[in-house]
Amino acid sequence: MRSLTNFAPSTFEERGAAVAFTTPVLAQTRVRKDSRDQLEVLIPNLSEGRGVYVVPWKGLPLAFPMTTHDRMLQDLIVKGEGCSPEDIRKAVLEAARCGLAGPLAVEAADAALRDDDEQRLLINFQLIVEVLKAVGLESSDILRAGLTSAEGQRLTRTYMIKAAHSLSIEPTELYSRVAELAVYLEPVGIASSPKPARLRRMMRDLAAFRDSMTDWATDNVSEAAPIGGFCAEVAEHTLNHVRNVVGQLDQAVAAFEVLLRQWDAKRVLVRRAATRLSWLLDGWEFIMTAWNEVQGKSRYEQDMTVHELFRVLPLLPKDEGAADQALDADRVLAANRRSVRAYVDWRSGQLDVDLVMRIEAIKAKAA
Amino acid sequence: MEAHALLSLGTKLLDIDDNRFRQVVDLLGHMGDHPEVQQTFSMIRPRLKELRPKRRPTFKRLFCEPFEDLFQALSGDEPAPLNTVERGLVNSLWPLVEAQIGKDRLRTFQAALNGGDGQKEQTLAFWAEAAQAVAEIANGLETGRFTDDLDVRLNPERIRTIQDITHILAIAPAVLDLKAAVGPKPVAKLHKDHLDAIQTIGRTIARGRPEAVKIFILLAAARLSDPSILLGGLWSMDLGQKPSDRAALFLDLSGTVVAQIEERSRAMTGSPAGGTDRMAVANLAVDLMASLEATRSAMEQSRNKEFDQRLKSIRGSVHDMVRAQLLDGAESGILAALGTLSGGGNDRDQMLQAENQARALRKCATIADTLGLRGELKAVTQKTTASLTDTARQALGNGANGGGATGNARAGYTAIRMIELIAGPAEANQIMDEILNTGRR
Repeated sequence: MRSLTNFAPSTFEERGAAVAFTTPVLAQTRVRKDSRDQLEVLIPNLSEGRGVYVVPWKGLPLAFPMTTHDRMLQDLIVKGEGCSPEDIRKAVLEAARCGLAGPLAVEAADAALRDDDEQRLLINFQLIVEVLKAVGLESSDILRAGLTSAEGQRLTRTYMIKAAHSLSIEPTELYSRVAELAVYLEPVGIASSPKPARLRRMMRDLAAFRDSMTDWATDNVSEAAPIGGFCAEVAEHTLNHVRNVVGQLDQAVAAFEVLLRQWDAKRVLVRRAATRLSWLLDGWEFIMTAWNEVQGKSRYEQDMTVHELFRVLPLLPKDEGAADQALDADRVLAANRRSVRAYVDWRSGQLDVDLVMRIEAIKAKAA
Repeated sequence: MEAHALLSLGTKLLDIDDNRFRQVVDLLGHMGDHPEVQQTFSMIRPRLKELRPKRRPTFKRLFCEPFEDLFQALSGDEPAPLNTVERGLVNSLWPLVEAQIGKDRLRTFQAALNGGDGQKEQTLAFWAEAAQAVAEIANGLETGRFTDDLDVRLNPERIRTIQDITHILAIAPAVLDLKAAVGPKPVAKLHKDHLDAIQTIGRTIARGRPEAVKIFILLAAARLSDPSILLGGLWSMDLGQKPSDRAALFLDLSGTVVAQIEERSRAMTGSPAGGTDRMAVANLAVDLMASLEATRSAMEQSRNKEFDQRLKSIRGSVHDMVRAQLLDGAESGILAALGTLSGGGNDRDQMLQAENQARALRKCATIADTLGLRGELKAVTQKTTASLTDTARQALGNGANGGGATGNARAGYTAIRMIELIAGPAEANQIMDEILNTGRR
């Protein structure tokens, strides 16, 4: 079976970030930087054997016929500054908004960007409230005046100056710390937020995925059942790590005064935790959406989907201290070896249009 | 729980989780054969078929087992059997069969339901007895004896179905062998071992019950994704019949296959062009042409000209359907949807419809040659692609790239997407590169 799961990276950076391509053979392949800081892409072995192809990013269109959306996405990733999950997400949303993946993908990307804007506003306000709370000031006046009103902003400035004095730091420095924290915490949000941010929602969805997949695999006689069970196990391990990291972040925000006073040490912790969280959950959105899409469909379709999900399952790197998941995946693979459907029409070498449509449908829900 | 309480759950039964669904099915199974229970089962049948929960064995279920493949398809997407058995008719027929066999006699077959030693023998004996009972009912119906007892109105189709059931029950052991040899439907391709098994079983039937050969072949065809696949293999199959019988059987079956294709083509050509899902039309056209080709090559093998005219007429109606519903107005439909984007609007449904139209055009390319529409399709495709290229050039010509937030850029990229759906990614990428590079220069 062609799979990215028979590749055992040590770090997230070596594993690469998943890219939401719509070309079936490239869907969820991973991009990373090589030793010369050039982008390269990891593609599962095309001959059903072990190992992965490492293709230079620029050579991708020469090696595979790509959809126009993917060409655009490839271009945007090259022009972007990095290849972290957040950088890739930004490029993916931008490419989807062009319309090259269809109107539903445009709507989904617009909705995701609107949600990001809302979260940005919300986290900024919440962090200001935390600052004021940390120094014993009330934020209800600001709320009453309205955060975006002139009066609200004036009050915010006044209170923040008071808070800065109380913390013995310059007001501009306090503002810059809050702004920096907001950048780190925007995708995660804070525990008390009325509207959970994107990564927290994904954490909740991952737990639901694990439960749904476990239920599906239990008492299921299909040959895909052990593979589904393995997917659920990987989700469980990932979830444990995610909970730890979210716990660390929540603790840091709970002790907000300490966070601001020991800024140099704590900011690194917060930044690392937020980055690690985005890496931990990278690639799961596609898997969870694809699994949700196939609920209520036939058992055969569910079996096929489980095989496809296994192919792109984001195993934890060795350095994350989990059991050697690549080795476990190898065992699952050896016990359940079977061919998966080809992604390219073998007679013509043309793209499988139906499969592209399916991936676009997932994109429309996952963006 | 009372029957009416369960029934009040209605379609909710389709949404509850698998385990609870199995429990409800088990509960319904214990409630007996009441009309409300039957109604609930009809409602949840698609899910029953999907989940196949363990059902309480009953004589009625055992009675239906040999001809279950001929039951009406549950959804339009499934291949319909050539000779269907109406579930309502079986529901009405079973009480008569039960009465004909007699409750006491029926009890002697209990081992067929309970399992254990002698189950298979008892099952076969039950089917033999049931075959006899149905044959007697069929004879009685001719003299009007059971007409009042049968709850449904009799018509030639239903009389034919009852005769089919008699024949199938009489050859039930052979049907079991057939099910073992050919997997459950839809089987997409018949391999040599399938054909060999059908031939061997068919020969046995032709020797003992020649009148059941046709229905046996129809049962085999019901397991296929497209019943016309069997026609190709049937001509070279030696069932030990006289050449005239063999030719008659082939003709009979061909007639049934052709009639089904005709019916499918009529159903779609009858629908108005505006409201149809064009992708569904394209899929149907491709399916119909595959069936038509399989039938035509089987006919050529048999040198049978009988159906030439009918096949030509089907081809003609598919040709008309493709032309009227897919080619005519394709360009204007796609461009009109793009026009809404250029104007800053965003009609999602119209856009999705246009995408479907573009995909349908591409799908048609596979059958355009056979339908003699190659030139027309090429002209429509080229004209549409040229118009879309112009739209893309106007919208993106100044080098817009990425971040398609403005309506104009979005219209340009959407035009390129439409080209991709119609002509493929290679051409679309080439056009996009050309436009964007020219703009940048």
